Amino acid sequence: MKLAVGDSIPEWEMASVSPERMRTMAAILRDPNPLHWDRDAVDALPLGLGKRTINQGPLGLSYIINMLQAWGGPDCLRRIVMRFPQVVLDGERVVARGEISVLREAQGVWLADCSTRLEHDDRGVLLEGTATIVLPENAVLID
Amino acid sequence: MVANRKPIPSEADITRLTGHNFPGGFYTVAHWENFLLTECTGAALLPDGLVHPVALFHIPIVGAGTSIAEMFALGQAESDLSIMIESYDWEIFVALREETRYAINSSITSANRCRNEQGDLYDRIQFCFEIHTPDHGLAARVTMTWHYTRNML
Repeated sequence: MKLAVGDSIPEWEMASVSPERMRTMAAILRDPNPLHWDRDAVDALPLGLGKRTINQGPLGLSYIINMLQAWGGPDCLRRIVMRFPQVVLDGERVVARGEISVLREAQGVWLADCSTRLEHDDRGVLLEGTATIVLPENAVLID
Repeated sequence: MVANRKPIPSEADITRLTGHNFPGGFYTVAHWENFLLTECTGAALLPDGLVHPVALFHIPIVGAGTSIAEMFALGQAESDLSIMIESYDWEIFVALREETRYAINSSITSANRCRNEQGDLYDRIQFCFEIHTPDHGLAARVTMTWHYTRNML
């Protein structure tokens, strides 16, 4: 694996955000918020979202984690900081994307600081933030 | 929704939440739980009993002896629909694994009244959770910052 600042991380696609997965997630999280399982509750909000449930924030974040782990390995993640400028709705196709911002050494391991985001073709950036991963041992850094 | 809306709490009621400690406790992620959580993310189960990091949302909350409902109530959320996420900051020092008993402690690290660019009132409450391994090492730190909107929905 050859890496340089500015390199793109291979994107990760969620082809269709599933309302059924939101319900399972709500049960596991003990999340009482009806936005995640009651389309009528979302429709009643003055937000014009229609009858679609809103994905849990951690689930949207997990798509970005999946991108990072598919690229850097299953235990690569050291830190992720995420903001949520827009909601993610059921049925939407979203894509996690990111780039390497900084390559650095800390405590004997090489780390990549990355800018990351979750995007929708029409609505743009839904989540955005930063992540730090440990680089795999076979990584070759390019100046 | 409006019929269930609660009155806006005083600013003092919000700011005094800073320093609130949750009871603390323990949490063990079972295999079935990690399996279902991971499936919800659309990824394959991770190898060697690794827990998908998405668990860093509910492990700290439940393990600290609280709940999403109690966190809503502490900030006197006007409804379940009124909470907005500002940010999540998840730091991982040791990867979490299934069937491992983690100790969790937590507190509210800040609570402030704010206004957004449109002049709308909201309360910004930040929760910090620390997850410790059975040998007392720091495995993860989770900081959740929520906005308790007032009269915005």
